[in-house]
Amino acid sequence: MNNTLAVSAARVESGSMGRVAYARIAPNEDLVQGVEKLCLAEGFKNAFVRGALGSLVDACLGTLDGQYRRIQGPAVEIVSLAGEVRAGSDGSLCASLSGVVADTRGRVYGGPFVAGANPICMTFEVTLEEWLPDPQQP
Amino acid sequence: MNQTSPSLRPPPLARSRTLMHPGPFNPQRIQSRHCDRSRHFRLALQPGLSLYDALVKPLAERGVSSASVTLLGGHLDNLEFCVAQPDPSGRALIAYTRPIQAGRAYMIFGNATLGKDAQDRPVVHCHAALRTEEGDIRGGHIVPQSCRVSGEPVTVLVTALEGFALRVTFDAETNMSLLQPQPLVHHE
Repeated sequence: MNNTLAVSAARVESGSMGRVAYARIAPNEDLVQGVEKLCLAEGFKNAFVRGALGSLVDACLGTLDGQYRRIQGPAVEIVSLAGEVRAGSDGSLCASLSGVVADTRGRVYGGPFVAGANPICMTFEVTLEEWLPDPQQP
Repeated sequence: MNQTSPSLRPPPLARSRTLMHPGPFNPQRIQSRHCDRSRHFRLALQPGLSLYDALVKPLAERGVSSASVTLLGGHLDNLEFCVAQPDPSGRALIAYTRPIQAGRAYMIFGNATLGKDAQDRPVVHCHAALRTEEGDIRGGHIVPQSCRVSGEPVTVLVTALEGFALRVTFDAETNMSLLQPQPLVHHE
């Protein structure tokens, strides 16, 4: 897992909101990497998730001890999702997504989504708002 | 993790599953559109109305027919939700179950998408976490026509999507009709 959120929380970044993108991402695409690729498609370098819902084949959430918890589907529904995408200095884009999911009986689980381990089941709808940091920040 | 060094150690993740859908694979995996600026609204869903009516009517009056909506917490009577399970008919991989009654429930938070169906009627696709009348914490697909805002108004944040439309459109791959971003037609 990455610590982008923890690092960036250590300082204040001023900026403004830019464009708003909506996407439907298709089955078997990975949730986290799909959001990163949506940013590539739309030319967003930094963005916040403004809304998301959909389903996963199975869900994989990170736990406090660095391990993972797998929630068996299909399908596991995404009931809430928060997160951001950040451009790294190495030319990469990294999405950090956290949320709550419900299993096939409606029981809920929460945590960070592990990149590469959360394939979309039927559909994933996501709205991203572009974040434009002000230039020349310390 | 750090005590053991071998780089040959297999990753701890269970490998994710790739499922086969009934229809032809669509090579376009991400259907996306954007608008350069978006209008935002804070909306107080009025008690006594269904979640559907409380959302759709005030937004329609402001010319909003496609939007992404964040629902903050609030009480809802007669809340019904569905979960997603393998489709017993085999027509699709997954189907929603029959509605499960949560009774006088508390919506902890939710997300909704406002769009249109094939007949141009507004559609609200809503997923939420909730506390049932019995006190269980559950989550799933909310039936927005059934539940009624009760007690205090429920606050929502609306991000209006303009320059394109969200429309329920048949998706051959999944053999289901799903909300998808589409170009505007003349009267929109």
